Order: sequence, then C-alpha cells, then structure tokens
Amino acid sequence: MTKESNKSVGADLVIPALALGFAVYFFVDIAGLAWEAKANGVLIGAVLVVLIGIQVARLGLQLARGEGSFGFESLLGPREALPARLALVGITLAFIVAVPWLGLTLTLCLAMSAALRAMGLKSWKKNLLISFLVAALAWGLFIALLETDMPHGPVEIVLSKILHTSR
Amino acid sequence: MTWEFLAGQFAQQFGLWWVIWPAILLGIVVGILPGFSPQNTLIMLLPLTLAVPVEQALAFMIALYCANHLAGGIPAILVRIPGSGGAAATTLDGYPMTKKGQAQQALVLCFTASVFGGLITTLATLALLPWLSKMGLYLRSVEMVVVMLFGLTLIAVIAAKDFLKGMIAGFFGLLLGVIGTDHIYNTPRATFGFLELYDGVPIVPALIGLFAISEALVMIEEKMIVTEEGRAKAVSAQWAGIIDGLRLTVKHWWQIVWTAFVGLFIGIVPGAGASIASFVAYQQSRLWSKHPELYGSGIPEGVIAPESANNGVTSGTLVPTLALGVPGGSTAAVMMIVLQYHGLVMGPRLFATNPEVAYGVFVSMAVAYIFMIFTILPLARYMSRIVLIETSYLAPVIVLVTIVAAFVERQYAFDMALALVFGVIGYVAQKTNYHVTAILIGVILGPLFEEYLVRALRLSEGDPSILFSSTLGNVLWALLALSLLLPAWRGWRRSKQTAAEQFGGEA
Repeated sequence: MTKESNKSVGADLVIPALALGFAVYFFVDIAGLAWEAKANGVLIGAVLVVLIGIQVARLGLQLARGEGSFGFESLLGPREALPARLALVGITLAFIVAVPWLGLTLTLCLAMSAALRAMGLKSWKKNLLISFLVAALAWGLFIALLETDMPHGPVEIVLSKILHTSR
Repeated sequence: MTWEFLAGQFAQQFGLWWVIWPAILLGIVVGILPGFSPQNTLIMLLPLTLAVPVEQALAFMIALYCANHLAGGIPAILVRIPGSGGAAATTLDGYPMTKKGQAQQALVLCFTASVFGGLITTLATLALLPWLSKMGLYLRSVEMVVVMLFGLTLIAVIAAKDFLKGMIAGFFGLLLGVIGTDHIYNTPRATFGFLELYDGVPIVPALIGLFAISEALVMIEEKMIVTEEGRAKAVSAQWAGIIDGLRLTVKHWWQIVWTAFVGLFIGIVPGAGASIASFVAYQQSRLWSKHPELYGSGIPEGVIAPESANNGVTSGTLVPTLALGVPGGSTAAVMMIVLQYHGLVMGPRLFATNPEVAYGVFVSMAVAYIFMIFTILPLARYMSRIVLIETSYLAPVIVLVTIVAAFVERQYAFDMALALVFGVIGYVAQKTNYHVTAILIGVILGPLFEEYLVRALRLSEGDPSILFSSTLGNVLWALLALSLLLPAWRGWRRSKQTAAEQFGGEA
C-alpha cells in the first residue's frame, strides 16, 4: 500500500460504503423469502457487515490519532490523469448509449477517435487510421466472422448489401 | 483398447491437421478476448460443425476448446486482463512478471504449463477412463461444498497483505454472487429490478469490468505498463527469453504434473470448471511452496499452477460427458449436441458402439496440444512486445474492445453497462488496495458454493450435519483444515526460529 493511500481515509471508505449499501438493500429485498433462498446471503452479508464495522472503527481510530485525512487523494490522483480518465469513462458511456442506433462499426470508430484524442493523441492522421483499423477489425471479427447480434447501423447495412450477406 | 487401435487413432488425428490448425488459431484469437467462451464460439460455428463429418467436427471443436483455454492466459499476463475466469488467477503472478520485463518467460511458462498440463491429463484420462468416470459419482454436493471452500480460501491468501481489506473485497464479491434467482424457488434476489440479473451476475462483464476497464483507467497514469528496467528488457527481447522460459518449465515440471491433476479431478465434476480449478491449484501451490511469501510478486510457480490446472480441466470435463452422458460443462454440452446430431448417443455404450469417437476425443485433444505448442511458442517473443505500446493507445483500445466483448456472451446491451459499473468498482478497489481478484473469486465461486450448499441442506431437510456425513467429504474437510492451519503453523515456527536466532545472537 502506498503512503498516500494510507492517508486518504475517505477513499478507503468508498468500497465499504458501497458494500454496506448493497448489503442493506440485499437484506431488505430478501426479507420475505424462504430460508433456502436467503440463508447463504444472510450469512455472507452478516460477516460483511461485521468486517465493515471493524474497518470503519480502524479508520476512525486512524483519523482520531491524526494518522489520516478524510480525503480522496489516493482515489482521484494523480491529478494530471484525471481528465483523461473521466473522458474515457464518459466516452464509454456515450458508446453504450449510441451503439443501438449507430451500430457497432460507426460508433466504435467515433468513440475510438474521441478516446484517442482525449488521451492526448494530436495527429489526426494517426487517430483516424487507428480508429478505422479497430472498427474494421471489430466488424470483421464480431459481425462478419462470428455473426454475433451486435447492433447494426448504417455501415453494417451498407456492407451487408455490398457483400450480399443476409441476416 | 489395443495399441494398434490407439496408433491408428493418432495417425487419423494427425491427418486432420488442416482442421486442427485453423481451429487452434481461431481458438487463440477468441481466447484472448474476454467474452468469447469456447461454448459461445462453438454455438456461433454450429452450422459449420453440423455440416462436416463427425470426426472433423470433433477435431475442430476439441482443438478450438483447448486453444481457447490456453489463450486466456495471454492477456492475463500481458495487460492483466484474463481472457476467461480460468485465467484470473494467472494475473496474480503473470502480470508482475511482465512488469519486471519477463513477459516472454511468463508467456512461455503459460504455454508450456497449459500444453503439458493438458497433454498429461489427456493421456492419463485415456489410460484411466473407466476409473475416472466413476469419480464423478463420488463427488456429490457435500464434497463439492468443501472443494468450493478450497477455492474460497484463496481470498484469505490474497488478503494476506491487508487481511481486513481483502476479506471485505471477498465477501462483497460473494454477496454480489448471490444476486439472481435462488436455486430452489427461483425467486429473484437483489436484482435491482433488472431481468438481465435473474440468472445472477454474468461472469464476463464482471471480469471485463474488474480487470480490463479498471486496469485501463489505472494504466493511463504511466506512459507504459512496464517499468523502465522492464522496458529495456522487453526492447531487447531475444529468443533467449524463450529458452529461459523452457528452462523454468523443466525446473518446475513436477508442479505442472500435480496441478494438472488438480484440474483433471475438478473438471470431472459436472458444473465445476476451470475457474475453480485454477484458484484451488494456485492456493494449493502457494500452500506447499517453500517460499509462499513470494507468490504475487511475479514468480514462475504462480503462472504454472493456474495455467496447468485450467488445461487439466479440458479432458476432465469430457469424462462425464462421454462416460455418463452428463455434460461436464457448457462447452461439453455443445459438443454433445453436435455428436447427437450426428446420431451418436453419449453414455457408457458409446465405448462399445463407437470406440473411435469415444477414445478419439481424447486422442484428438492430445494431438491438438502437440500442434499447439509448435504453433504458439515462437509467437511469445512477438506477443511480449505489446507491453511496449504506449498506454495512451492501449487504454482506449482495451476499454472499447472489451466493452464490445462484454456484449457477446449473452447478447444483452445491459452487459456493456454492467461491465462499466464493474470497471468503476474495480478502479476504486485497485486504487484503495481492495483486491479485485478477491471480488472476482467471490462473484465466480459464490453462486456455485450456494448451489451445492443448498442442495446438500435440502437433502438433509436443513440439517447441517450432512456436510460431515461422507468419508470422502470428511477427508476433504481434514485437508481443508490442514490447508488453513499449515501456514499458521509455519508462521509460528518461523517466528520461533527468528526469536531463537536473535536470542542466540544476543547471548
């Protein structure tokens, strides 16, 4: 563990908070079920809650002793990588939303180009070449070769007509 | 089965090289991508396998299946993205080896452990088939509860550095694994109202999120995934790296053998699979090692154990399929469909009516492994160069391509979003040292553990003493207790020794 993460007590609480939130939801959701349906989950959830309690107490003690701060530095840092990271998550989310309408090939090409730009690639020539290659390979593997049900858009429809493939 | 018959079978299978080689190449390509399980690929290629004669279909399916198992370790080693659940344990030491500039050696160890592990267990299966087929009958739900616990103890092993964080991660994963309908009444539990979660948390999106996406989000902090020293080694990668990998294989030959048998025995149990086998093999390998503290830092044994075990599973899975007519796994089920289409009925009679098919499956597997080693070994040098690509190119490709791969298994757009959610959870876990592998072990083994536990308790009408009712089960319980107590005893002895040395030094 890095020294920095030792100090960011707030960051260390994110996973326990998520786990606790889920455990509470789980307990509420299974309350009315038969014992066979909930025995295992109750057992696991109970142990998880106890472990989280110990962790919170441990981190609280660290804070009380002045050994940590209630910050999120270890989670968000280094600061210079944060914009690229957030952009990558945002672009991925946009990809997931757009792919049912635009189809795999076009959405992937656009998302790849945006992601490369967000990562700091300045050359548009390189950017477009990589984006095109990745999209073409994805089309070749996922649609042409393995015939998965990936969402179809204008590119897939045109290519399917050109290649006379029927789906 | 005579020697002449066996020799004829081998000759016939070698003659099918034109089927086996393309299947190996396709198996490697799809094995590298998380999301393409062998059963998915075989289902997609079903029209092809149904159209050709049964011997060719069988050779194709077997070669693709084995190559797929082997290839899952490649991205696990190079970029910390396991191609399948069975390769998740490979990341623990494979990726640290890459970071140290030993990607080539790690890849060679992955290939040789996979091939020799698969080959040894295939030949053993050929020789011991009548006895092995009975083994599946002895391993029932009671015994499988203990086998699952063997796998789950790996959480404690991983948690060694920060026990509390590791255990929270593991139990969080286990609780996530309970999502979905229960095994008795099919009532949904904690599904957030999503129909797509009724079958439980799908492994592929979880795997992609926890490893691929989270790793991509972390890797952009550095220019490259390898250290400066590692980069220098990777740039100057020569054939000597392959020779060194082979030397390490020979040095650890015994470990390949016994971990392969761990895979074989676990593979025989219907429903158990490569993930459990590789976790158990890694945990046992660490347990019996002379230097358990080095596991996780990038040592050859940490690559060999899971890779050999997950390929040992390949022949084990087919034992109940052929001998009992019960598919040992989903891939075996697809193979069974193809064979039934060709008019072959699985079960004990197959060995009398169609011995060339029954034994031919394992001969085909042995031949596929032989072809595989010559195909893939020379590629290790070139594959290891992937680590020289800058993370600004690598991260977007990893995130977007694996998000697409998350869709493939179940063909739900929901799975892509789920992978992203797991990616964010994995990123937070990585940055705050809650081990993502512990979460994944929980997600994979949790539902299986529950299934066997509930089944056993159902048989006893809720009486937990059933868990201690069988001789084999009790032997496994004793071994489990030994697994847990041995490291503690070793630690106590080591501290006693250290204290004695200090005392001696002071005197």
